[in-house]
Amino acid sequence: MSALAHYLEEEGIATVAISLIRPQTENTRPPRALWVPFELGRPLGPPNEHEFQKRVILAALQLLEREHGPVIIEDFPDDDPRAQPDPSWEPPIEPTGAAGRSSEALAARLETEIPLLRDAHAQWQAQRGHTTVGLCALPIAQCGRYVADWLRGCAPPSMREVFSAPLMLRFALDDLKAYYLEAAAVGASKPSSQQLGDWLWNETAAGAAILALREACLTSEDERLRLIAGNFMVPAARVPSPG
Amino acid sequence: MARLTSLPPAQAKRLAEAECPQFETTPWVIGPPLSQRRVAVVSSAGLVVKGEMPFRGRDADYRAISSDTKPEELLISHISVNFDRTGLQEDWNVAFPLERLQELAADGLIGSVGGTHYSFMGASDPVQMEPHARELAGRLKQDHVDAVLLCPV
Repeated sequence: MSALAHYLEEEGIATVAISLIRPQTENTRPPRALWVPFELGRPLGPPNEHEFQKRVILAALQLLEREHGPVIIEDFPDDDPRAQPDPSWEPPIEPTGAAGRSSEALAARLETEIPLLRDAHAQWQAQRGHTTVGLCALPIAQCGRYVADWLRGCAPPSMREVFSAPLMLRFALDDLKAYYLEAAAVGASKPSSQQLGDWLWNETAAGAAILALREACLTSEDERLRLIAGNFMVPAARVPSPG
Repeated sequence: MARLTSLPPAQAKRLAEAECPQFETTPWVIGPPLSQRRVAVVSSAGLVVKGEMPFRGRDADYRAISSDTKPEELLISHISVNFDRTGLQEDWNVAFPLERLQELAADGLIGSVGGTHYSFMGASDPVQMEPHARELAGRLKQDHVDAVLLCPV
């Protein structure tokens, strides 16, 4: 972001960057930046908190009216109130059982689990009016089948001409995770991202399947697949420690 | 929950020590009061309008997103799995605050909202992004935008 700020400002467009990682902003020195103490992925802070979000935007945009600079790096003072867990939140489905850790068993559990979330995800779409599922443009059951087939060792070809098979797999995994996390956030409670992530990675067949698939792909002869497995399937904080 | 101290130590160290581009110049553009500025958002979330090509790998170009785009038309194709997506899933304004800007314009706190907004994929190489960013500046000027809010993830 700071580099983009620099290029745009050099071309004559005034910029202000929101900063999530202060040391990077300090190193790149954009003309103006507002550091915010929020989680990565949430530069404006809590979802659906309109007044809070507008305070962040105005704090950033008001740096454009400063007469003295560059470089300006200010700090936003308030934490994200949605970073705290909501004790009233409940997972959308009961755990589907930890038995069966073989690839075939995990693949079968994944395909069984996906339809169990159908109602919750439909509720999400009705409640929010949108979904972020759709990168690979497959119905979610087909998306799950594609991931399950990878887990079974089938190495299925891409289902879209414009994507290589490893890229198709990455997008299918992104869709699968979005489907689960949206289904889990339905209703009036306000779960933190930590709560939702704990559920996905620790309690669902999908979480176990993706972790197993990551391990399997790390030994692939396909360099692109190893790269995706190592970096772009499972958040670093969710990768089990060696041993 | 958001400071580097709240992240796993290895991830925090990697982020804090990531190689950052260094610049010899310090550009600085001044302009009218905020109440007269036309504001556009540039996101690094790898946002794409459904039906368009998602960002593949570390594509360094950008996607244009019209200001009348609806939340149901947008997808996230950022390559990283190390930032929260649940906030964005619930409310696009968390990282792409078009509706908040429109409210600020309606209240007269900013002048107006640009007709088009943009997304890069922030894990791309800044050197590769540079020509696209400089070309984007021309498009922003055509839209009479004189303030850009850069939103990372």
